[in-house]
Amino acid sequence: MSKAMFVIVAFFVVGVVSVAHSVADEAPISGTVKAIDTSAKSLTLQTTAQGKTRDVTIVLKPETKIVKFARPTEPRKSGFVEQPLTLSDLKPGWIVSVTTKHEGGNEVAEIVTVVLEKP
Amino acid sequence: MRAKLFTSLAIVLGLLVGLWLVRPPATRANGDKHEEKGGHAHVPAPIEYADVHVPLSVWTDPAMVARGKEIYMTRCAVCHGDEGDGRGPAGVALPLKPPDFRDKDGVAEMRANYWFWRVSEGGQVEPFKGKGSAMPPWKSELSVEDRWAVMAYQHTFSGHNGPHVPWEHPESVAMGRDIFAMACVPCHGVAGKGDGSVGPMLAPRRAPQPRDFTSAEFKFRSTPSGQLPTTADLFRTLTDGVRSSGGPMTIGLRGHRIMPSFQHMPVAQRLEVLEYVKSLNRGFWERGAVKTVTVPAAPTLTPERLTRGKKLYADAECLACHGERGRGDGPSAPTLKDNRDLPIAATDLTRRERFKNGARPEDVYRTLVTGLAGTPMPSYGDSLEPDQLWDLVYYVLSLSRGGRMAEAGSR
Repeated sequence: MSKAMFVIVAFFVVGVVSVAHSVADEAPISGTVKAIDTSAKSLTLQTTAQGKTRDVTIVLKPETKIVKFARPTEPRKSGFVEQPLTLSDLKPGWIVSVTTKHEGGNEVAEIVTVVLEKP
Repeated sequence: MRAKLFTSLAIVLGLLVGLWLVRPPATRANGDKHEEKGGHAHVPAPIEYADVHVPLSVWTDPAMVARGKEIYMTRCAVCHGDEGDGRGPAGVALPLKPPDFRDKDGVAEMRANYWFWRVSEGGQVEPFKGKGSAMPPWKSELSVEDRWAVMAYQHTFSGHNGPHVPWEHPESVAMGRDIFAMACVPCHGVAGKGDGSVGPMLAPRRAPQPRDFTSAEFKFRSTPSGQLPTTADLFRTLTDGVRSSGGPMTIGLRGHRIMPSFQHMPVAQRLEVLEYVKSLNRGFWERGAVKTVTVPAAPTLTPERLTRGKKLYADAECLACHGERGRGDGPSAPTLKDNRDLPIAATDLTRRERFKNGARPEDVYRTLVTGLAGTPMPSYGDSLEPDQLWDLVYYVLSLSRGGRMAEAGSR
């Protein structure tokens, strides 16, 4: 095999690994809302992954969606309807799931889904 | 040479990356089985949940199913889906996907106590917490009956019409059955009736014989007389083994145990085998809430207690079997028989290592309260007050060498 071939294979491997890692970074994070900072537009989640519990601060962008699902109020309608929320609607203790992407050393939220509103 | 090395390295790297992509860590978190349908590893429920068995009638009671549906639709469907397919709108993006309750095989493997544990504790317990489960714990928001009702409704998605019990779903105890076949059958027999080929050789034509798990009589319990033991009781017996009360055939048994200790078996495997053992006796599923004997805090050992204990030992006729000095040589000892009409020895109380139900003060207290079912050892739970029981416990323990030393030390 020529050196050129090896370089091509090496680039392919590195490329695949990078893509795979970026996919893994975008795996959803679920946890309990620990704190909300509306001025910094961030929320802190207590989450456990791979056996380790840690606090993760997630930054929200203007395009980040925060939603919860509720039963429709119209009679004879079934299923769930998506209700938009704002960051200030979230409360500590709620359980949420967040799809994120890694940007500039931060976890940036794409969609925050409320799983359970704790009273 | 170098080219070959580079080629080999490239192939190895490519294979590793390929394997990683085929089975990335994010999907491994879903458990071993049925993961394509959101299945989770069905680990044994912990001891504190092991005796939670849903009353059989609940599974098919229309009122309970309707009650469960109402709760499910308002609390569970947002993740688990209206159709129980695990595809509720809030569940789609969860790191650990909700299971598909329509998956007959996956549901059949879930034991009821596992199911109740999952509903009660949600994702707050391992191994689900470590996998990032977002399942809320419902124990503080739903009553026990409400949780049963939700389970009964969830059960309808799998299309099974009967109660969710091991004799309907033998696959739920398959692992325990395999362990039982390897470790227990020689003594307890294939059907768990205590008729294995090795058992009688340990004590020919004498008690004790291996336990018949299908009967209602279990010697070592923390439950009142006449009741089945708790899973914790069975776990203790399995872990510690059963000490021999002596006799020529038991000489040389490891640790003087007529049943070996399985303390080296992993806890999860011990719990699995006990789930199988319980599946052999429907009484475990048909009983109501499990009550256990309370062992109050041990009082201080005093000479007065020993004096009162000695009198109780005589008044309660302990010496008739165990003898005046506790050597198991009382006047009734030669005539004692167990419920299989086999001669049985009175325990030599001077040798603590032969106390089958444990030799700690709380063990002896528990034995006095529960008695040993199937043997002549009666229960004193109704005839003696707790304080009297402690007097007797201390006196019994004083009959052994260790007890006499403790007695001397207390003076």
